[in-house]
Amino acid sequence: MLLELNEVSKSFGGVAALTGVSFGVKQGEVFGVIGPNGAGKTTLFNLITGVFPVSSGEIVFDGMSVVGIKPHRTVEMGIARTFQNIRLFGNMTALETVLTGMHCRTGSGFLSSFLRTKRQRIEEERCRGIAYEFLKLVDLEEDAEEVATSLPYGKQRRLEIARALATHPQLILLDEPAAGMNDSETEVLRQLIGKIRDLGITVVVIEHAMELMMNICDRLVVLNFGKKIAEGTPQEIQNNEAVIEAYLGKEEV
Amino acid sequence: MDLLNPYYLQIVMFFIINAIMGISIYFTLASGQLSLGAAGFMSVGAYVGAMLSLKADLPIIVGIIIGGLVASLVAVIIGLPTTRLRGLYLAIATLGFGEVVRVIFLNLDVTNGALGLSGIPSIPQELTNYAYEFDIDGLMGLDAVTWGNLMAIIILLVVLALIIAFCVRINNSRVGRAFAAIKADDHAAELMGINVVYYKMMAFIIGAFIAGIGGGLYAHITNFINPTDFSYHKVVQILLFPVFGGSNVVWGSVLGSFILTLLPEVLRFLSDYRDIIYGALLVILMAVRPDGILTESMVDKISRKLGFKKAPYIPESQVLTERFEAYKRKQEEKQG
Repeated sequence: MLLELNEVSKSFGGVAALTGVSFGVKQGEVFGVIGPNGAGKTTLFNLITGVFPVSSGEIVFDGMSVVGIKPHRTVEMGIARTFQNIRLFGNMTALETVLTGMHCRTGSGFLSSFLRTKRQRIEEERCRGIAYEFLKLVDLEEDAEEVATSLPYGKQRRLEIARALATHPQLILLDEPAAGMNDSETEVLRQLIGKIRDLGITVVVIEHAMELMMNICDRLVVLNFGKKIAEGTPQEIQNNEAVIEAYLGKEEV
Repeated sequence: MDLLNPYYLQIVMFFIINAIMGISIYFTLASGQLSLGAAGFMSVGAYVGAMLSLKADLPIIVGIIIGGLVASLVAVIIGLPTTRLRGLYLAIATLGFGEVVRVIFLNLDVTNGALGLSGIPSIPQELTNYAYEFDIDGLMGLDAVTWGNLMAIIILLVVLALIIAFCVRINNSRVGRAFAAIKADDHAAELMGINVVYYKMMAFIIGAFIAGIGGGLYAHITNFINPTDFSYHKVVQILLFPVFGGSNVVWGSVLGSFILTLLPEVLRFLSDYRDIIYGALLVILMAVRPDGILTESMVDKISRKLGFKKAPYIPESQVLTERFEAYKRKQEEKQG
């Protein structure tokens, strides 16, 4: 297992956002997290990336506990993420945005940047090459010099994925990547997720677009009111009664 | 020559020092922190530098550098708790720090309290002495005092150029991108692997160092300092430079301090109405250009036109292609 959650609970004040959630994500799979609004999906991502500490339970990534580790350290460990609401960096161009993602894999500091040492220049150049490759991967190489926030919505979403990939993760967490996308954009996204898997990166994705999820995910968990109600392959989930009940309600007898 | 009279030359010197002070605010602002401690750090640099050259008889340049270092040391202590604050809270805390420093200097015996320090060795004066020594008095029709002032200006310009070069180069690097990311969205920056606390702290410390250097230069230009030089009023004045000139680019502070240092002198003929016009100009500019005169895209365009900035060179890279292939091989091995 690359990522393992063990009886993870989180409460904010008296409100339990997650209660006793356990599941494991295998290396190389595309893993889905679904559930109605407010089920605790984004909270789950925030716990994995160290934004909030867990109230109880354990999260193990690649054999190491991520509990109590600061967010930027979890990125260094190999966990990258995107955001439910796009959070790109103001005035940066697309290329700079991706370069920013490579921050934790590079080392130039204040002095070498000021002196433009040979090592710094070589590193910058190499990074630009790799960043451009990531832009090509998400089909944005034409927009390398465009200001990120001026790009159309669908492109901004893909740029966010490129920025996350640039941190060279083992695991990428996608928070509603298809939100607000039309059918053709969603199709591009589906192919992109396939490409990410082919890079050997494990994907965990939160999404409401069921067709997409059933299509791309190897396995899924379903959350409702902060509890895991089901886990399994798309087939198993689709036929699971607890899931149907959570989404459609119980039939009156 | 009329243009080179000591009064004009002194205004040029104050413009350069103001530009340095403006940049010290800009640098901290570039990481999204509004610190109003500039006058406090400036006074630390000024007092430490002045006392070292006045009482310990150290060379002026050594005093100024140590003054800058002490200011950044103070920034470490102040920054540990305050860089965790955001927005207005940081502004208020650092403003308070400036006042505390002022009151300390006001009450210490070594700093001569409210009377301040006088007779600080002055850079133009020292250089004038050199001018006499090397017998360039009267060279090109300029007397030794003018030569001394001109050389002082050149030294100040070199310091300013170094600081600008530092900012520009940092800006176009990994560190500058980290700053920009933090300024735009510090939460997202943290989740892209940027150590936000570290970079905020470094911006704070380097900003303090620049302010300390500015203070040291100030003390050795005016040869007299007292605590009221570094009051709350001073911070507001310094803050106006980046805000007026454009707070998103280093050149904004330079332009802002140029205009705002000259303006009161140019408007001198208005006598009593001077401050009214000065204030009105500020209000108009903020209404018309809330981001200041210079913006990032403007500077970008200008430097592209002048040929300083080219489209970034992007080398061929095969890192991802190789990774795809490696994965494919691995999958085939698994199946085979």
